[in-house]
Amino acid sequence: MATITTSPGQTRALELNILARKQRSLWRDAWFRLRRNKAAMVGLGVVAVFVVIAILAPFIAPRDPIQQTTANALADPFWGSPQYTNPEYPLGSDQLGRDILSRLIWSTRVSLWVGFIPVSLIFLIGVSVGMLAGYNGGWVDNLLMRITDVIYAFPDLLFLFIIMAMLRNTAAGNLGGGLVLMFVAIALVNWVGMARLVRGQVLSLKEREFIEAARAIGAKPRRIMVRHLFPNVLAPVIVSVAFGIPSAMLAEATLSFFGIGIKPPTPTWGVMINEGFVVFSTTPWPVLLPALCISIVMLAFTFVGDGLRDALDPRMKT
Amino acid sequence: MLKYTIRRLLLLIPTLFFVALIVFSLAHAAPGSPFDAKSNENKPLPQATIERLNHLYGIDKPVWEQFALYLSNAIRFDFGSSFVRDRPVIEIIGQGFPYSAQLGVQALLVALMFSLPLGVISALRQNSIVDYASLLFATVGTTIPSFVIGIFAIYIFGVTLHLLPFVGWSTPSHWILPTAILSLGAMAFLTRITRASMLEAIRQDYVRTARSKGLGEQVVIVAHVMKIVGPATAGLITGSIIIEGLFSIPGIGRLFLTSIIQRDYPLIMGTYMLYAVLIAVANLVVDLTYGIVDPRIRFDR
Repeated sequence: MATITTSPGQTRALELNILARKQRSLWRDAWFRLRRNKAAMVGLGVVAVFVVIAILAPFIAPRDPIQQTTANALADPFWGSPQYTNPEYPLGSDQLGRDILSRLIWSTRVSLWVGFIPVSLIFLIGVSVGMLAGYNGGWVDNLLMRITDVIYAFPDLLFLFIIMAMLRNTAAGNLGGGLVLMFVAIALVNWVGMARLVRGQVLSLKEREFIEAARAIGAKPRRIMVRHLFPNVLAPVIVSVAFGIPSAMLAEATLSFFGIGIKPPTPTWGVMINEGFVVFSTTPWPVLLPALCISIVMLAFTFVGDGLRDALDPRMKT
Repeated sequence: MLKYTIRRLLLLIPTLFFVALIVFSLAHAAPGSPFDAKSNENKPLPQATIERLNHLYGIDKPVWEQFALYLSNAIRFDFGSSFVRDRPVIEIIGQGFPYSAQLGVQALLVALMFSLPLGVISALRQNSIVDYASLLFATVGTTIPSFVIGIFAIYIFGVTLHLLPFVGWSTPSHWILPTAILSLGAMAFLTRITRASMLEAIRQDYVRTARSKGLGEQVVIVAHVMKIVGPATAGLITGSIIIEGLFSIPGIGRLFLTSIIQRDYPLIMGTYMLYAVLIAVANLVVDLTYGIVDPRIRFDR
């Protein structure tokens, strides 16, 4: 082929094009990859619906979730046998005559709180301690590693069981129907993992040239941590947060299922399963419906988490 | 290697001490005792009896004194007597342990039996239907909590089809559901890992490294199986508590659950410490086999 002559203008355009392409940030790139991931997008959709239901619970729940009407107890859902259904209870009622649909809707609120508050605590504590320990080393690092050794020796679910069972009848355990204690307990058991993750990342990052450069021009440690280290540890942290949310929700459901979680009458999926288990062999819906809700939400969050992991760090893709 | 093993074993002592201290103080920080009138609402005990019981079991002493006494007894393998059952903790745990061990071993075997072939096949036929199906299974199995799967299984096989019993552990047919449900999580996890390790092993790097270090073929295989099984075991240990609770199996998991609800301090301590030791040992074994398998991991810094 003949030589292609390019005018200076064209060269400039090519260069500009390259520059423009390079400006796509990691986050934008990740978003593009995430959008192509069908499972993750479905998961994200389900999570969005779940959040909307939780926020709008008081407006969309047809009945009071804790009002007992014993005369209407154990109604079948609308697809059940016609003689046991009650049009006022589309998904049936439990043995105390409470509306299952309304209870399911209100439960999303508790799940949402349990998903987000402890994970925010874990994020705050874990990231700050992890950065300090990784960057400064010294006694913070030593202390963190010793605490980790001990906390890792606690089987985490068992430890949650003990904290909840022992403290739920104290004043602290009664705050918010047991919610506050649940937040603290979950955060307490899990912050160390986050701190370890951030510490490891910081340890390898702080030897890199750009941090050395920042130090060389006299940036203060605080500035280095906030402006340079933090954005660079964010990707794995986000993935860990995304998986932390469903695991916190699962912890609540498990504890409530065994009767040592959130206190009745506050409805949560775990509490509903616990209470419905008595009549399970004759009337299964009060148990099956919340179990189904838990499954759907857990799957949705896992799909989002998997998608985020693949999008933020394509090398980790299996 | 030997030095590292010994150091890790020695490190277990302060760790277990702290675990004991924290669980002990948590248990005693809780309001109420097993003999409170509150915990026996139907037939409240007279105050004098409660005081005598407290004295008999030493609950009236300061907490630190109780803890010191507990430790000094525990070193001699005397873990006290259960408040509720009035029998030595060691004896109660010894009675429950065979059930838990059987459940755990059965679940692990079932998990291995299915996950190894499944993982190998999906790795060999990457991106085939089998591969996607096993990947989906692995995601679902690790995501949906075991007690929820258990509830669905009880509904389908127990309540609707009347095929399998789901309360207790008396006959082999009682074993099927709990074993299957407990194995699911481990099975999903193992399928994932087997697939990933197979994909890596096809490239052969670390198998070659292991051989070049002069390790025998058997060590290579055993170490690799251990590397996979170790983490799964830790999951099975905690998972069995939930399964034992759900299916009313009289193992140590259910002992743990009932003891924390009944505030039976000696039994809480006994079961919890047993779990802590089991998990610590499982972790230690995993770390050690990692060292055998992967020479890049150095134990002496």
